[in-house]
Amino acid sequence: MENKLSREEVLHVARLARIQISDEKTLEKYQYQLKKLLDEIDKIKEVKNYDEDFLIAPVDHEAKPTKDETQEEITFQDVKKNAPHTKGNFIEVPVMIHE
Amino acid sequence: MSNYLDLSILELNTLLKEGKVTPLMLVEEAFRRIEKDPEINAFITLNKEEAIKEAKALEGMEVDNVLFGIPVAVKDNILTKDLRTTCASHILDNFIPIYDATVVSKLKEKHLIIIGKTNMDEFAMGSTSRTSYFGAPKNPWNKTKITGGSSGGSAASVASRMVPLALGTDTGGSIRQPASYCGLVGMKPTYGRVSRYGLVAFGSSLDAIGPMSRNVYENALLLNVIEGQDDHDLTSSYHEIEDYTRFIGQDIKGMKVALPNYFMSDVVSPSIKEKIEETVSLLQKLGVTVERVDIDYIENAVTLYQIIAMGEASSNLARFDGVRYGHSVDDAKEVEELYLRTREEGFGDEVKRRIMVGSYLLSGENAKVYYDKAMQIRDDMKKSFEKCFEKYDFIIGPTTCTTAYDLAQDTDDPMRSFLDDVLVIPVNMAGLPGLNLPIGFSREHMPIGLHIIGKAFDEARMYQFASFLEKELNLKLDPKGEE
Repeated sequence: MENKLSREEVLHVARLARIQISDEKTLEKYQYQLKKLLDEIDKIKEVKNYDEDFLIAPVDHEAKPTKDETQEEITFQDVKKNAPHTKGNFIEVPVMIHE
Repeated sequence: MSNYLDLSILELNTLLKEGKVTPLMLVEEAFRRIEKDPEINAFITLNKEEAIKEAKALEGMEVDNVLFGIPVAVKDNILTKDLRTTCASHILDNFIPIYDATVVSKLKEKHLIIIGKTNMDEFAMGSTSRTSYFGAPKNPWNKTKITGGSSGGSAASVASRMVPLALGTDTGGSIRQPASYCGLVGMKPTYGRVSRYGLVAFGSSLDAIGPMSRNVYENALLLNVIEGQDDHDLTSSYHEIEDYTRFIGQDIKGMKVALPNYFMSDVVSPSIKEKIEETVSLLQKLGVTVERVDIDYIENAVTLYQIIAMGEASSNLARFDGVRYGHSVDDAKEVEELYLRTREEGFGDEVKRRIMVGSYLLSGENAKVYYDKAMQIRDDMKKSFEKCFEKYDFIIGPTTCTTAYDLAQDTDDPMRSFLDDVLVIPVNMAGLPGLNLPIGFSREHMPIGLHIIGKAFDEARMYQFASFLEKELNLKLDPKGEE
């Protein structure tokens, strides 16, 4: 079995993760490293389970609804302090939809 | 030159009450120690100006609790209002939180003084703290060695006696493993015991915040402060508030302890196994029954962790997109390009690998093949722990397979960071509490730790057990050797 993923496979996974890989050397390194990780993960298929029960999170209580009340905890001025690109009372982003 | 920070917290509390020491003296001493040894690289951001201001404000106030005026360090993935929080990542290296994490509010209510934000693996992903964008911290016992991780800076800050207490976080061993490598007590509390509100999420169903300290008693004191239900975290437990020190000092004779065979298998180095055997003999002498057991599924923990932690991480870290906060490229023409390039520039290799694998595991049919299966095995693992706890009070074993290794050791193997945590990950899977207690040293004089696993919400009894053993062992645990 090949000990690396193809270039296309890595680029596909990177695309799913919204990460660009512009450097060829890095891409090549990931071909081997991701393959090694995925081979390890594949071992889960061999493990036999006791039953079909799931554990999503080890929480010991029922979820309780919170009160549906609005509170002014954070203002836009607060949020704006960390936003990289702002214009007036808006956070600015590049074009999302073309005509 | 004062050396107050070598004293115990109870001694400091007495001196503070008598007015012989002020919070300002403690804060100044902490910064003096940090500045004297910058090579340790325990901190990413220091809170000097604010800490001094806070210490001055405490002067003349009544010393109303045992941690009043005590300096504390906070891991840099826990939000601190107006104090930079980077997660040791380039993508957040200019991020100033606009609110405090619940644990930080609790520290402030009790008038502990935050000295700074500690170094760590980027987004807590790693076992050595070498994935930090700000360079790795160094082990105070030997500066050529790793501190472990991901709470490596918190461990280094306490081990080198810069601060008496620190907060760490633990998703797959990140409090207990560096505590073991640096000769400290580190507690990962039961999942839900401590609010995660304001902790930058990595693996939400695994993450826990917990105390790191020089000894068991002081660890319990800090858990007393940070525990409790929080409406801001729906997974935080409604379990009763407790005093975790209340059993400390009581005898452990008659207790029953399980030692899983896997924890003494070939994955663990002979010198560590030897130390565990010695500790078992000591426990038996103290009237504790120790029996070898098998616990199903613990040997599958790494695979399980990779699926669950990477899956959750890929989803949690989707928020870092260059739009609302953090690093952002300036000249993107389209929003997709903004995401792709910001994340390429902002994240380091380990984080990228984990997000990529996580995205793959959760995509399409894979979610069924891998994620659903992992959650079934996770449930089975929890049941097998519960079965063991029907007969035993605690489960013990080594915390780590080796002692802290060389900083220069190979970083290219993507499996290494998982294998370092093979003994501590099962605890996160089952949501159980786990504690590291130093039990001795290797031939190179690097610390070795005992891992104590308790039943859910049984931290107080774990502290009783650990403290009794700590007293019997009576180790010298200051790397400066001045204690």
